[in-house]
Amino acid sequence: MSVPLLEVRNLAKRFPSRQGREPMPWVIRDLSFSVSEGEFLTLIGPSGSGKSTLLNMIAQIDAATGGDILFAGDTIVASGAKVLRPGLDRRVGYVTQDDLLLPWRTTIDNVLFPLEVQGRLDDKGRAHAETLIKAVGLSGYERYYPHELSGGMRKRTSLIRTLVYDPPVILMDEPFAAVDAQTRTQLQEDLLRLWEMGRKTIIFVTHDIAEAIALGDRTLVLTKQPTRIASEHHIPFRRPRNVKDIFALEGFAQVYERIRAEIQ
Amino acid sequence: MTIAEQIIAAPTGPLISRRMTILLGRCFFAALLVLGWQWGANAFGAIFFAPPLAVVERLYEMAISGEMFWDVWQTLRVSAIGFVIAVVLGLSVPFALRLSPRITEAVEPYILWSQGIPKYALAPWLILWFGIGDTPKIVIVVTMTFYIIFYNTLAGIRAVDRRLVNMARIMGARESVVAREVIWKSLQPFFYAGLKIAAPHAVGATIVGEFLVSTQGIGYYIEHARELSDTVGVFAGIVIATAVVLVINAIVVKMERVALAWRPLDRDMGR
Amino acid sequence: MKRYRRLTDRILVCIVLLAFWQLGSWIFGTYWLSTPWLTISRFFTSIWSGEMVRQAGYTVEEAALGAVIGAVPAIILPFALRRMPTVIAILDPFMIGGYGLPKLALAPLFILWFGIGIESKIAVVVSIVFFIEYYATLSGVRALDTKLVQMAQLVGANERQVARHVVFPGAVPNIFAGLRIALPIGIAVAVVTELISSNRGLGYLVQMGAMNFDITEVFAAILGATVLVLAVGYAVDGTERILLRWRAPVESLQQQISTT
Repeated sequence: MSVPLLEVRNLAKRFPSRQGREPMPWVIRDLSFSVSEGEFLTLIGPSGSGKSTLLNMIAQIDAATGGDILFAGDTIVASGAKVLRPGLDRRVGYVTQDDLLLPWRTTIDNVLFPLEVQGRLDDKGRAHAETLIKAVGLSGYERYYPHELSGGMRKRTSLIRTLVYDPPVILMDEPFAAVDAQTRTQLQEDLLRLWEMGRKTIIFVTHDIAEAIALGDRTLVLTKQPTRIASEHHIPFRRPRNVKDIFALEGFAQVYERIRAEIQ
Repeated sequence: MTIAEQIIAAPTGPLISRRMTILLGRCFFAALLVLGWQWGANAFGAIFFAPPLAVVERLYEMAISGEMFWDVWQTLRVSAIGFVIAVVLGLSVPFALRLSPRITEAVEPYILWSQGIPKYALAPWLILWFGIGDTPKIVIVVTMTFYIIFYNTLAGIRAVDRRLVNMARIMGARESVVAREVIWKSLQPFFYAGLKIAAPHAVGATIVGEFLVSTQGIGYYIEHARELSDTVGVFAGIVIATAVVLVINAIVVKMERVALAWRPLDRDMGR
Repeated sequence: MKRYRRLTDRILVCIVLLAFWQLGSWIFGTYWLSTPWLTISRFFTSIWSGEMVRQAGYTVEEAALGAVIGAVPAIILPFALRRMPTVIAILDPFMIGGYGLPKLALAPLFILWFGIGIESKIAVVVSIVFFIEYYATLSGVRALDTKLVQMAQLVGANERQVARHVVFPGAVPNIFAGLRIALPIGIAVAVVTELISSNRGLGYLVQMGAMNFDITEVFAAILGATVLVLAVGYAVDGTERILLRWRAPVESLQQQISTT
């Protein structure tokens, strides 16, 4: 068996307490899991389960109090490290809940932003950006500013902005939570279609069980704080998945029930 | 340090607490300014830089003779009158405009354009009309301060939750009641923010007005000293002016805190 | 149709205002109030002869130089101090004091130091523009959305790139808001300082007119100064509109008041 692309071992997180006060409770304690290359992993957790904190630590915008994060077998982050490296030197992409588009840039400029910053803004990069824009149906909106786009369009832009520079691992923090049901289904389909094109490794956090099942190869259920992995579920459905009719798939209800019971 | 490193370093405290550092830094900077002042006096001569000690002496003399208090009183008196008139106008005009969107639209550009008139430039003409006295200064103060109250009241009216207004109207409240209960109450933070800015402004406008309408007051003292090349006097006058403005500012801030103490949310408007 | 009604309404108000002026002039005498016609024709003849333009030029020169000397350090300082919040905190009370003190009150001091020439006017403009622009820029730098900074770091931006691509563009609206206030004030302040003591500029024209009991001259000069102040304001607005196309539009005065 090959080495997993990303492995989290005994991760622990506690926010620092003020001087003289009691120590804060553990947000995450003894959390371990791994992701294989090309896998679409979904994480489900109730609110307050430290999902965002977990992703923040993997993305290295927040420091771990304990435990290790390994990338392709190398210990990238040991706890107690003094320096954070956001994005793990571009190995980890992060699609956050807020689209965080730069309001003063047009769609195309927002998508090209990572390439610009990394010094990789060449014809190949531009072509790749154009392809992605077309793939999510934003053709014709290249010169629009974020305030002129709908919420769903901004989400798409935020998504392909992360995809454009091909990070090996992509984290997603409930990216579709803030849009309406129709748009969400559309976005989920777009995501899967894009994923099929490149088969990146994705860690997708959600509170929506149906979404976790529809999108993932494997689902991990998180506990409430102090958060750890409660259980692991293999999703038996073949790809390509039909997101709109996922509810009608045979066996869906059972998987759904099994997971829902866990969360109660 | 990068932001990331700052985050990690946060739990451990530094050797001197941050508050101490800031306090020391401020004292140091203030000392630097005073030393610079003294150096300026030595380097450029007393014509340009009155020596700090001489200024202190003069302030003492002015305080003893009562001249300081007389000038300050004159300035404050005029500022107060102008301020009150400006507040009355600044409050009533937006409420009046509220009643007729059509008139508001028609008048809007003229209100905006009138702001462009350099108000102090009216001083010579006002002197011709009213002579040298309080009236030109009061007019100037009113014209300067009016806009501040006006625009803050405007912002306050705009920020009123329209649903509350509609609810009051549905319940059958008359316009005047709507104005009083809903709008005025919601308006208060903005109004006090405006007062906070306008009060020191009124004093400042009076002082500058006194440059142009020379009779009495702090501004008169400063300008008069300049005409006599009395540098010490100029510096002393500026010190007094600064002190008065800062005190007025502090008073208004205190008043705002008291008046808005009932608000549960500490929404700090117009800090 | 509605659009024309608004225009005619405004023209109507203009006519009413001018009528009041003319009425006052009849009642109190041309000597005291001049008349609309006299003032406006003097204004234009003065432009035609070049006098108004020349004096306005002096005023603009003072304001422009003062604005540049004042605004440039005021804009740079918050960016330079961004990573040193302690220094900003140390400076804060001094900046607040400088902001609160009416800088025009320092005009006699500057005239004492620099004489009645252009330098004293520049100094006053600098002192006013600096503090306004410092606070405006500081608020822009502070209002920075740290999540945007994080996002940029995630995709690999270094400190310089973050400053250039995230911090600076984010502060530009505030910088412009400051300029929108500071530049017209710069003109007005230059005029007032000229009023106090000068031999050139629009303020000088006002003072001259008053000394000669020539109210028409006074009003014409004030009109010129007003036009200048408004022109500068519109210029900043126009530039802002072009550079800040990416922002969502803002309500007008009328919309602000009448929708409650």
